[in-house]
Amino acid sequence: MNEKAIVLRGIGKAFSGHVAVKDLSLEVPRGSVFGLLGPNGAGKTTTLRMVMDILAPDTGTIEILGRPADHASRDRIGYMPEERGLYPRMVLEEQLVFMAAIKGMARTDAQARLGPWLQRLGLADWRRRKVNELSKGMQQKAQFVATVLHEPEVLIMDEPMSGLDPVGMDDMREAMLELRRRGATIVLSSHQMEAVERLCDRVALIDRGEKVLDGSVAEVKSRHGKNTVALAFDGDGSFLQSLPGVAKCTDFGQYVEVRLHDGADPQALLQRAAERLRIRRFEIVEPSLHDIFVETVTGNGEEAE
Amino acid sequence: MTAKLWAIVRREYLERVRTKGFVIGTILGPLVLAALMLGPILAIRSGSKPLRVSVLDRTGALGPRVEDALRAARFDGRPRFDVLPTEPEPALKKAVLEGRLDGYLELPADAVERGTASYFGRNVSNRLDLNTMERAVSEVIVGVRVATAGLDPRKVKDLTKELDLKTIRLSESGEREDKGAALMLAIILLMILYTSMLIWGQMVMTSVIEEKTSRVVEVIASGVPATTLLGGKLLGVGAAGLTQFLVWSLCLLAASSAPAALLTFRMPEITPLVLASFVLFFLLGFLFYAALYAAIGAAVNTVQEAQNFVWVVMTPIILGMVSFSAAIEAPDGPLSVTMSMIPGISPLIMFLRIVVLTPPVWQIALSIALLALAIVFVLWASARVYRVGILMYGKRPTFPEIVKWIRHA
Repeated sequence: MNEKAIVLRGIGKAFSGHVAVKDLSLEVPRGSVFGLLGPNGAGKTTTLRMVMDILAPDTGTIEILGRPADHASRDRIGYMPEERGLYPRMVLEEQLVFMAAIKGMARTDAQARLGPWLQRLGLADWRRRKVNELSKGMQQKAQFVATVLHEPEVLIMDEPMSGLDPVGMDDMREAMLELRRRGATIVLSSHQMEAVERLCDRVALIDRGEKVLDGSVAEVKSRHGKNTVALAFDGDGSFLQSLPGVAKCTDFGQYVEVRLHDGADPQALLQRAAERLRIRRFEIVEPSLHDIFVETVTGNGEEAE
Repeated sequence: MTAKLWAIVRREYLERVRTKGFVIGTILGPLVLAALMLGPILAIRSGSKPLRVSVLDRTGALGPRVEDALRAARFDGRPRFDVLPTEPEPALKKAVLEGRLDGYLELPADAVERGTASYFGRNVSNRLDLNTMERAVSEVIVGVRVATAGLDPRKVKDLTKELDLKTIRLSESGEREDKGAALMLAIILLMILYTSMLIWGQMVMTSVIEEKTSRVVEVIASGVPATTLLGGKLLGVGAAGLTQFLVWSLCLLAASSAPAALLTFRMPEITPLVLASFVLFFLLGFLFYAALYAAIGAAVNTVQEAQNFVWVVMTPIILGMVSFSAAIEAPDGPLSVTMSMIPGISPLIMFLRIVVLTPPVWQIALSIALLALAIVFVLWASARVYRVGILMYGKRPTFPEIVKWIRHA
């Protein structure tokens, strides 16, 4: 069994003058939840569209499930684009069976597998209704069923959390975890890193079409050191910024996050702070992906200043 | 891949056929046509009353003879006029306005010399009745003139009997008398061909735009290549069009086997050749125009924007419609032959030529071959526009930009 679900080798894509993706190489291991992260316009959607052959890459090669990407291997992927859509005047059941059929599943198989999914997501009563009679939330769920009904081994979801309310996000997260337990590989893209970083075990951060860093989440975080301190206190903490060894101080109102220079001792910071403040909480925390991203993109953060 | 194509054909077909518009068009179409053709005749047949008319005679001599002629006038074997005694003009006018009289015929003093008369009535659009009246009165006036010249009216009538040119169409399937029905048939079939190519082609365009608007197209594109999606769409919509024709043909078949008494005219014979070429040229013409329409749909965001590109489709169609009278007059003339070879125009003009006068087989074959080649090219170009266009939202591309998509996609 091949270990990689998707391998990108040096793929690039330019649209009339502007480079959307540049020499991007990635490996998505089987069974992982892979986060493709980056700000809007970084090239995430273009990358995923190239994987799905909706766009042809200008350069580079793509492998899916251990062989060069072709129509058959793409049928083993479920793809949910950021711009979701269903045929508004089509009956839900027919719609979902059709979506599975264009992914190569026989109609009878799709019909048989449809029931349990609709049941799980509370759509069973809507089976014979037209899609435009469904509420927004139900349409999102229907879209998810359309993505997974043909039992893909790899699931690609572009901004899966966008436009979802908190309940919808929970449902989506649970459904993804369920698929993962069944052995599916999940690739998801997002510009909201906090929303997905706890879901992913591997990430790649991209910016302006280029990969900034990638690896397992634990690896990425440890590479950036355990030099962030969360501090909650009573009193005026504005002096913390000017203490020696402090690189950056982010105020969250309830508490501050202090990023230290490499090699600076958190204990020293605690002592200094305790001299002038009443400390309620002191914790050495991992940096968030967001901080790591900002730091990496802006050339190691405030240190450069 | 065929299973996917089939899934798309099936979806497109069912989506078209299940709409109210399709059901109404399919059932109502033949009914409206039948009503238009048979309506006036049936209305008179079904015993509409004869017209109550009076004759206002200012010649002082013609009156009684015209009244007799009107009483004797027949349409379809039945008297059409109920002649009431004459009265002074104001009284007649009043009678018409009050509905006691349908109308009156005024013969001016110089009616014989100038050959004029006027009919006053509340309804003057009953052409069939008025034609009958005109013939009757005209016969009387001509008769008077002839008699005044000292000739025997009956003899003159015999001598001046007009030529009744019977037209008999010779074809491989035998000879048959043709009372202008072939021409009527050709024009009607041409109109049906023309409108259905445009309507079904436009349906492909609307469906492409709808897929873009509902954003479903990216999901579909992740499952099938753009060419398969485009091909499936054309086949599905085309099949829906053929279904409609099938229903209509069955209606026509039923109508032609209806009791002959109901028909005042002979149903023109639709030869297998005409039927086959109708279906063939519909399919080819549809593929040609629908592929163009699909490319337009993929390039724009709304149906309104599409209007800017519709000239691409309308130019050949209008050229075809303009040259259609030439094709009827001289189906073998150089203009007709040329037009029947140009792809896009050929479905209309070659079909017309086949109906009016069967052209040489090599011409038909060449026309179809050229059209098929053009379809392959248009499909190829459209698939390229389609592949780029379905993911483009926002600004409408210019025509040169679309050409660029075709060349570089």
